[in-house]
Amino acid sequence: MRIGILANSLPAALPIYEEVRQVAGSEIFVLLLPATNQVNYRSLLRHAARFLLKPGRVRSLQLSWKRAVIPLRKSLQDAETITRLRALQLDVGLHKSGTIYRRETIESFRLGILNAHIGILPKYRGRSVMEWSLLQGDPTGISVFFIDEGIDTGERIVFSETVDVSRCQSLDEAKQYLFDQDARMYRRAIELLAGPNPEFQINDGSGHRYYVMSKLFQGVAEQCLVAQTSVCEDHRKNQLEDTD
Amino acid sequence: MNRELISQACNLRLNQIRERVMALDSGRFGEGGFFVTSIREVLRDTPEANSRLQCFSAPSQWSASGTDCLTALRVLALHGANTNSAEPYPAPERFLDQLRSKVVARETLFDLLVDRYVWPLNFSFAAEEPIREFLLMRLMVADRTRIENASAAAVDTDELMLKLNLLALHSGTTNDLRFLDALNYYYELLPATLFPESQNAWLMVSWLALYARALNSWS
Repeated sequence: MRIGILANSLPAALPIYEEVRQVAGSEIFVLLLPATNQVNYRSLLRHAARFLLKPGRVRSLQLSWKRAVIPLRKSLQDAETITRLRALQLDVGLHKSGTIYRRETIESFRLGILNAHIGILPKYRGRSVMEWSLLQGDPTGISVFFIDEGIDTGERIVFSETVDVSRCQSLDEAKQYLFDQDARMYRRAIELLAGPNPEFQINDGSGHRYYVMSKLFQGVAEQCLVAQTSVCEDHRKNQLEDTD
Repeated sequence: MNRELISQACNLRLNQIRERVMALDSGRFGEGGFFVTSIREVLRDTPEANSRLQCFSAPSQWSASGTDCLTALRVLALHGANTNSAEPYPAPERFLDQLRSKVVARETLFDLLVDRYVWPLNFSFAAEEPIREFLLMRLMVADRTRIENASAAAVDTDELMLKLNLLALHSGTTNDLRFLDALNYYYELLPATLFPESQNAWLMVSWLALYARALNSWS
């Protein structure tokens, strides 16, 4: 399977590259998006700065040497970029950028572009979904689905998985923990897609679109998280005492 | 859902609203000054005032109004709901198209909303869901972004306040916390010193009063 990681920087794409390349038969490219839509030398400077400042420089150099890194000169909507993407004959794109994709871009990939969304679909679409899940007493987790032009409305969900964040001490930590699972989630999705007759759950629009949460309710969500953490710590202590 | 924690948070915010309304200078509101003074009485933290601070129920039918939208909002903020006779339901599809056209043309939605919600609680009528979702999305994406990138002056204040009033009415009728949290978000986003330079500046006060009613149903 030919896979393109759509990323704003090489260091951001590296963990996904390392994880997904373990899937047999995969050929992976990092599609490096321009850092701005305007002046190209500025974009190059930003990439260079990220390259120098973030870890993984040696690996990045190796990838560049292997021609696995494809810098895109123009934005994803640009006709030149679309032509280039089509020529690469990629099967799947993996979303690791802040971009919203247009249909032409999505259709440049045979199967589409995957997103690792930090909420359980179809119930939780949109923003602050981890916080909303905590507030409403629902499990937190990740859904990998094929995006469309809407906000988390793509119909085909490859899988959803609950992820326990009860070891985290704050909302920020819990959110980062979920974001850090993306490489593992993408690998699992690629394995499922590479298998015989992959089946999809349907994102049927039955849930709600959520929006950025107020500070007031973020406070409540954090208290819900801390309450979970305390329960888990008590449980772990009890287990240890039982073992002793 | 952890109702107890949500209740504590709502109670905290309710007290903050009380303080904000008590600090308002009613003289600045011109003809709306008496309304502001009356809302202060409604929001006093006394057992008697609290018992009158009821929220609303979603109407089971499209209701008539004996008055216009803006007057009805003042009545709802001050006295709560009364019972109105039924009217034929004007289907939402065409209205939603009209709202979208106004957004594309960058024109205000104020008149359209005032004309449809002559009885403002009709906003909570079950079949109005697509319109509620549309207004919630506009508030939490386009309007919010404009205000965060510039200031409250970047949006039509009358339209913004009317949308917040309608959302406040609905958030008192539903368990869907997204609507209440949109009000929470705007309470935090808009400066405490905001005074809308408009004939309808009192819409800010009716919003706070209706928001307080919604919070009271959770606290």
